[in-house]
Amino acid sequence: MRTVLRIFGECCLTAGAIVLLFLAYLVWGTALAASAHQHDFATQLQRQWRTHRDTAPVTTRLHLVTGQPFAFIRIPRFGQTWRFAIVQGTGLAQLALGPGHVPGTALPGQVGNFAVAAHRVTAGNPFYRLNQLRPGDDVMITTAAATYTYQITHTELVLPGDTAVLDPVPGHPRQRAHQAMITLITCDPPWTGTHRIIVSGSLGAQTPRTGHHG
Amino acid sequence: MYRWLWQRLPGGTAGKTACAAILAIAAAALLWFVIFPWITPQLPLDHVMPGG
Repeated sequence: MRTVLRIFGECCLTAGAIVLLFLAYLVWGTALAASAHQHDFATQLQRQWRTHRDTAPVTTRLHLVTGQPFAFIRIPRFGQTWRFAIVQGTGLAQLALGPGHVPGTALPGQVGNFAVAAHRVTAGNPFYRLNQLRPGDDVMITTAAATYTYQITHTELVLPGDTAVLDPVPGHPRQRAHQAMITLITCDPPWTGTHRIIVSGSLGAQTPRTGHHG
Repeated sequence: MYRWLWQRLPGGTAGKTACAAILAIAAAALLWFVIFPWITPQLPLDHVMPGG
């Protein structure tokens, strides 16, 4: 009996230690990996964009490759140092690298809906404070061609099944878009999959990219 | 379980301690680099995509 109890106790302690290690992995392990990728992406984009500028006029066409970065996102409300490279694709493999552009939605600055999804927690918690954005806040997207500044127009909480938020005119599947919109997506509450926070904005200013950027 | 393991580790107290530490680190590394990255996508954690 004592042996059985002792083995049971040891199993419980072991399981507890594994759970703690797993939590540490989710909080720090995924963040470290994402931060290493983000660092590489920043270098990669800056090098690409510099080459572009020296050799030819910047083309406005973006080359989108799944898992590869093509733009930076900055949100002043999150602080001056808050910046992420946006990668193409929103599979778990891409979201582990940083915010992802929803395939099939518009490109930055284009008429239509530029949709970006990111983790609320893990992978460096890119959209941890998405719920703090308010109408009027700026979201800046920098590509090889320009910096597009979107102003937040509204935020809402939807159920996971609501894919209409990705439509060219969000919520109106059959309408043709006449406006450049942005949609930022993450989950709510943090750690769960029960709801989605949707932050929508429309394009305000766009400035051609100059020598320095994001 | 751990006592059984301890008795089978080679060496004196120092050797056993070193061996146990290596085993513990190896187990943690296996969890951290192989098992956790594999299991994380299977869990209903932080799913952000609409429809997903």
